[in-house]
Amino acid sequence: MSGYNGVYLMGNYPDADHFTAAARLGLERFDFLEVGVPFSDPVADGPAIARAGEEVLGLGFRLEDLAASVGEIRRKAPAGKKIYFMSYANPVHNRGLARFADVARRSGADGLIVPDVPFVESAPFRDAFTRKGLEYIDFVTPENTPEQIDATARSARGFLYFVSIRGVTGSGFTLDDATRAKIRRARRASSVPVVLGFGIRSAADARAAVELAGGFIVGTGAVAALRDGGLEGFGGYIDSLFG
Amino acid sequence: MKSMPDKRGYYGEYGGRFVPESLINALCELEDAYRRFLKDTTIRREHARLLRDYAGRPTPVYHARRLSEKIGLELFLKREDLVHTGSHKLNNTLGQILLARSMGKRRVIAETGAGQHGVATATAAALTGMECRVYMGAEDVARQAPNVHRIKLLGAEVVPVETGQRTLKDAVSEAMRDWVASVRTTHYLIGSVIGPAPFPRIVRDFQSVIGREARSQMRRITGRDPDVVVACVGGGSNAAGVFSAYLGEKRTALVGVEAGGRSHAPGDHSASLGRGRPGIFQGSRTYLLQSDEGQVLPVHSISAGLDYSGVGPEHSYFRDSGLVRYAECSDADALHACLELTRTEGIIPALESSHALGYVMKNRRALRGATVLVNLSGRGDKDMGIIEEALKA
Repeated sequence: MSGYNGVYLMGNYPDADHFTAAARLGLERFDFLEVGVPFSDPVADGPAIARAGEEVLGLGFRLEDLAASVGEIRRKAPAGKKIYFMSYANPVHNRGLARFADVARRSGADGLIVPDVPFVESAPFRDAFTRKGLEYIDFVTPENTPEQIDATARSARGFLYFVSIRGVTGSGFTLDDATRAKIRRARRASSVPVVLGFGIRSAADARAAVELAGGFIVGTGAVAALRDGGLEGFGGYIDSLFG
Repeated sequence: MKSMPDKRGYYGEYGGRFVPESLINALCELEDAYRRFLKDTTIRREHARLLRDYAGRPTPVYHARRLSEKIGLELFLKREDLVHTGSHKLNNTLGQILLARSMGKRRVIAETGAGQHGVATATAAALTGMECRVYMGAEDVARQAPNVHRIKLLGAEVVPVETGQRTLKDAVSEAMRDWVASVRTTHYLIGSVIGPAPFPRIVRDFQSVIGREARSQMRRITGRDPDVVVACVGGGSNAAGVFSAYLGEKRTALVGVEAGGRSHAPGDHSASLGRGRPGIFQGSRTYLLQSDEGQVLPVHSISAGLDYSGVGPEHSYFRDSGLVRYAECSDADALHACLELTRTEGIIPALESSHALGYVMKNRRALRGATVLVNLSGRGDKDMGIIEEALKA
């Protein structure tokens, strides 16, 4: 299966070693890696990712430790692969936007995804990151108007994150006709890949996403596979997506 | 004064709409619907009728003479405890339920801490025939059992939230998760001046009836404005409501009282304005109790309604601009004030409102001779279990 695809892992979950090993395995199959920065109040996440974050926080999480893991992943990753931090707004705001960008850049990451910063609030985040040569990833959703989709798609860098379902991470994957039309519209307007995220768990979901949008992101399924089956389970799971 | 919030939903540098992109258009629709609501005389007449005949407004201002004499100042109470369902929360839910109905929504969801907003939402939903689900932290479900029963009796569903600290902030997060998935059919009936724009403004506007009534009542009774107006602040809706009539008035000082809890240590209080730093939390940029890494800290208060890590963004603006002064009242002082009012005046106040009273009693020397208006935001029946436990200890 072709397409431009990404895998999400919760940073340093279940521990730094397993996380970096899973990330390396993931980047053999996927074009980019999303590294979740754990947050105490993850409003966009379902139970699987939320609980993984809680566990990492329970062990005394520090951003510097995660940056070190990302640095190691970057050093061993094949050329051309991309790595993004996915963090809620407060850990970024708390560090200071420019300083968070510095941490991300020094670790070898390519950009930032912030699920609770919508387009209308994105300017300070976008500016802080682009000033350091990093990409700020935009979201498009089934709720956006065609005009909003066009505007966002035209200015997108890196890839355009299309939230394919109404709900949090880990919900079921179904697309109505209106959503399909909006995905096609985003693809036409965008000069970067459009990637479907939220709700993709099986090979069938993944195939449908690649066919329609040109790519997919898997998160909840990957985190759950690593949790339940360790590296072997995780490897088997991502193989099955491309089967 | 400049009109607040601005077009982007900011009060100075606080507020905004920090939510997933999926909710942005719902917030815009809500803003448009609210603008229509403000111009619609039929719906506003209906709202006024409900506030009068159903909620029992205007609520009186009561001169607490015995307690005044005891503490050496003139204490007046705005009796929001007499509003139907027992707190100021119904002022907001009646307004928002009419707003939701005008948008064609048939389902409402809400978060609740002490359960007062849950009861007020379930009541408004019963009144209008709407489906209603209330998210409540599992810990609050346990300590506010009477309100859980009331919400269920009113025909609403109570969903205990088991994530995070299992209190108010987690209930807000869970309600937001529901809303992201259900936004086309559902109105999120938020209970305080928190969350993304336009919620802080809508809730403040619906609570501003407290301030409008109190100001004219105080003038009628005493011939002038009070020297000090005091209200408790968790999310900050009753304070925003009563302060709204006095903002920028030089001769009236405004004091918001946060929960000082059992100590100043992180996790032992919920004084976000006094001890927090600006952050981005549950839709707004606002003062927040957070760790060095930007994780939201657990909080504590004897009153479940003040047990919140953040605060409404308008209060953050009031704090920085000096329009309102924020102070703290400990669990013990609040409990003491609760007993004092009960036994001196025969009024059992909610533990939330007892924080405002506790501040006044603690500072009675500095306030000697002053005319003080306390917003008595709710009644204490729901707190009987907690009060009994605390008295045993």
